[in-house]
Amino acid sequence: MSNYFNTLPLREKLNQLGVCEFMDSREFADGVNALKGKKLVIIGCGAQGLNQGLNLRDSGLDVSYTLRKEAIEGKRDSWKNATENNFKVGTYQELIPTADILINLTPDKQHTAVVKAVMPLMKKDATLSYSHGFNIVEEGMQIRKDITVIMVAPKCPGSEVRAEYVRGFGVPTLIAVHPENDPQGKGLAQAKAYAVGTGGHKAGVLLSSFVAEVKSDLMGEQTILCGLLQTGSILSFDKMIEKGIDAGYASKLVQYGVEVITEALKQGGITAMMDRLSNPAKIKAFEISEEMKDIMRPLFQKHQDDIMSGEFSKTMMEDWANDDKNLLRWRAETGETAFEKTPAGDVKISEQEYFDNYTLMVAFIRAGVELAFETMVQAGIKPESAYYESLHETPLIANTIARKKLFEMNRVISDTAEYGCYLFDQACKPLLADFMKKVATDLVGKNFNEGKDGGVDNRKLIDVNEAIRTHQVEKVGAVLRKAMTAMKAIKTA
Amino acid sequence: MQRPLLHIQDLNLKYQNKLVFDDLSWAIQKGEQWVLSGISGSGKTTLAKAFAGLVDYAGEIEINFDIESKLPAKVLFIESWYQFKNIEGVANFYYQQRYTAQQAKDTLTVNAELAHYGKENDLAFADVEPILIALRFASLKNSQLIELSSGEHKKLQLVKALWLKPQLLIIDQPYVGLDAKSREKLNILLDQACADGVQLILISNEDELPKSINHFAEIENGKLIEISAQEIALAKSNNELGEIPEFLKEAPVYSSDLIAKMVDVNISYGEKQVLKNINWEVKAGEKWLLQGPNGSGKSTLLSLINGDHPQSYANELYLFGNPRGSGESIWDIKQHIGLISPEFHWYFDSSSTVWQSVASGFYDSVGLFQQLPYTKSKQVDELIAYFGLTENKNDLLSSLSLGKQRLVLLARTIIKNPELLILDEPCQGLDQQQTAHFNQLVDELCTNGMTVIYVGHYESQLPSCLEKRIVLENGEVKKIEKIKKENHKVQAHLELID
Ligand SMILES: NC(=O)c1ccc[n+]([C@@H]2O[C@H](COP(=O)([O-])OP(=O)(O)OC[C@H]3O[C@@H](n4cnc5c(N)ncnc54)[C@H](OP(=O)(O)O)[C@@H]3O)[C@@H](O)[C@H]2O)c1
Ligand SMILES: [Mg+2]
Repeated sequence: MSNYFNTLPLREKLNQLGVCEFMDSREFADGVNALKGKKLVIIGCGAQGLNQGLNLRDSGLDVSYTLRKEAIEGKRDSWKNATENNFKVGTYQELIPTADILINLTPDKQHTAVVKAVMPLMKKDATLSYSHGFNIVEEGMQIRKDITVIMVAPKCPGSEVRAEYVRGFGVPTLIAVHPENDPQGKGLAQAKAYAVGTGGHKAGVLLSSFVAEVKSDLMGEQTILCGLLQTGSILSFDKMIEKGIDAGYASKLVQYGVEVITEALKQGGITAMMDRLSNPAKIKAFEISEEMKDIMRPLFQKHQDDIMSGEFSKTMMEDWANDDKNLLRWRAETGETAFEKTPAGDVKISEQEYFDNYTLMVAFIRAGVELAFETMVQAGIKPESAYYESLHETPLIANTIARKKLFEMNRVISDTAEYGCYLFDQACKPLLADFMKKVATDLVGKNFNEGKDGGVDNRKLIDVNEAIRTHQVEKVGAVLRKAMTAMKAIKTA
Repeated sequence: MQRPLLHIQDLNLKYQNKLVFDDLSWAIQKGEQWVLSGISGSGKTTLAKAFAGLVDYAGEIEINFDIESKLPAKVLFIESWYQFKNIEGVANFYYQQRYTAQQAKDTLTVNAELAHYGKENDLAFADVEPILIALRFASLKNSQLIELSSGEHKKLQLVKALWLKPQLLIIDQPYVGLDAKSREKLNILLDQACADGVQLILISNEDELPKSINHFAEIENGKLIEISAQEIALAKSNNELGEIPEFLKEAPVYSSDLIAKMVDVNISYGEKQVLKNINWEVKAGEKWLLQGPNGSGKSTLLSLINGDHPQSYANELYLFGNPRGSGESIWDIKQHIGLISPEFHWYFDSSSTVWQSVASGFYDSVGLFQQLPYTKSKQVDELIAYFGLTENKNDLLSSLSLGKQRLVLLARTIIKNPELLILDEPCQGLDQQQTAHFNQLVDELCTNGMTVIYVGHYESQLPSCLEKRIVLENGEVKKIEKIKKENHKVQAHLELID
């Protein structure tokens, strides 16, 4: 098996990277009809498996689960999740031959083994579905030619997929059909019906390709989403300790700051986030984020290059074959950082204070979102895809840090994302060392406006505002956010 | 002379920028036990919060604790409503979550919650046992917070308060959601607490109160007036309802004569069985009263009808003529139903406006995600006017008092003139007159042929249209019978069973 993307001629690479269409709600007028009366069998009953299955069944579809033998015999959590919610559960032999649609919701690293085991049992002309394209694109898994291969990828954790559905809404979703496996041309109709079944069509569906989804997903999670949030959090905390800020305060500012700051991002993009700062702070944040963009650009480009060439997935799978040696070491190191080990202090920090006293993080986030977006678009990924994988997901990940810091973030995200995050963090911290030497507590830990007169040069402010507002991520974002205004605000203590 | 426990002088208090108390002065002497009553929105809760230092005020509030007392020198305010959090400190739950079996445990158990509370307040665990037993709560110790019903959450709040025994205990709506037996038990426990030196302020319009209560006051137009025990339940609301909107006078069109039918229905979580062999049939146009003690399975039973329970797929259940799990979606089911329950209110999206909340009833969604056609948006306006909420129409739901929020959600429940109304303790948080009005409205809708299932713990506060009742106990049907109308003895008897 070889990397699917690398087998394609350049023309076809660009072609598949460029599949991206925001679908009109009229495209979903047929509802779940394309899947009505068909047997949907889900492999795996974890975060996505359970919640997608509950939604699909509540949409009137016939859903059951197949689990590996050990899980059934050992009555593992996945078995309990399925049986206690009254789903039918069976072994591969019992259920796979009956499946019209087989939905693979096992962890990505297991996909090759799982798919090899289930494919011989699948009936002729059945459909195989994924929620992430790693196996098809990076590992070049070859699927039997009579089988249709589709992807339906909710851009949210499984719990949100369920919560939004039962309140009558949904989460933004990417769908795709693998061009090598669409023998009857039914893939798109089924993927659309599936997105209706999980409620995704109400929040916006992006027609993508396996290639575009994987290459953008990996890039987003390694750089801005997980990597930079981790680097920025650790550097900010260490800086405050170095400058004598109370450790409990520093810990709380960093833990909850990303969430508060990115809530503004979610509602109104970079513009809204920057507008929460005073004028002088905004100009300062703009200037240092420009500086950070210059420093980090080569690193972002390296990540994108390695993702495109397959170098990233190759090293990751090698590490896995080597018993996750690097992954486990980096995980342990993250657990040992001072930020991770210092509990948040019992101090009250008002919502505005998170902006005024943590201007550095605002700058980190602007730099990271814009850089990730720009780098993806330069590599041939369409702006809409790049938006979902950068700006859109940042608040969702920030929320996991607010819950239980970096450990929680790295637990919730996929193991692929976790590996990529550490890889980025290892390289980024030394890169920013000189920059961080210049950072003082007015940017992190204390109110930036304290002792300053608040005046700014008109011309300068106008230029800065102009630069922020006219960035392409803001233009694309404004259109896409309109479709998602109804998403519930994440409520935190 | 001994100084009063609480002394207030020239108190000025605002609720959402409106002055509700202007130069109020009042004192509570040692040994006095008070009940405060008043209509919904009169400012009772705001005043109580000021005593506990939870809201800003101008003027003076002086509290003189007894330094010789063994009880903690504390004012404890128990809210009529409270939000529990998950293990990570987030309160981001959804209504159907408690019915879904999930291995990844998200909330604390009752035991862990109590252990945490006890540690925080330096309390001995042995002291809580008798309270748990008295309130019939001991069997819930291993339940997750998310699994508790609204009445059980109320009990948990009360358990904590009675365990802590502060010198001044203020409870907002202590009886809301409690069944008759639990209300009786609570009064006994409160009397014991008083005997131990606790002083009480209960905010309530009920008339079954602890014996120790020896002072009554009513709040009206920003004044606090001492009244007699007999006057307590007479609080008047100025909110008169007019003629019901035309579109609600139309008889529902039934797609089937059978609304719901259950055959030997069983629901369990792991080892714990919450419904056992339920057999029940609801026909079009019937008006049912559903009763049972807290935790007897009432809400779970209703969740089956509303399409909210994952386990309904493995049971023999027919809804609106079709077997459950025969290709219908939960939205197909909900389209026939208007539902309200305390839990539904808890988890409702409070970032919606009043108008959006009512309008969302057309689509059975929590929050509005669609544009309303002209006739429907007219109907929303009309119903909002009927409930006297026009001036709040653009306010956020969360900015209203709980009573008003409840009215908004009641409007949402009936907006589409559904075939079936499921009213699970619909009048919690309303004052007597609002309750009477709402029940009149239910009666009127019933004469047009609507089907109703009503849950209420207070016999005196039920609509008169109800004609049949089903009683649950420990998850089993204890009784199904006709309600005899004129016979007051039967009414008294009902109360005892509950
Ligand atoms: N998490 C997210 O936020 C997210 C978002 C979008 C898409 N996705 C995608 O969704 C898919 C599933 O991710 P997830 O986060 O839901 O995973 P998960 O929670 O880890 O669940 C994995 C499930 O697969 C089973 N499983 C594990 N190894 C297996 C094997 N070798 N053979 C058979 N079954 C196995 C597990 O059950 P047992 O161990 O008991 O057998 C478990 O039920 C992935 O492709 C992921 O990229 C995830
Ligand atoms: Mg992702």
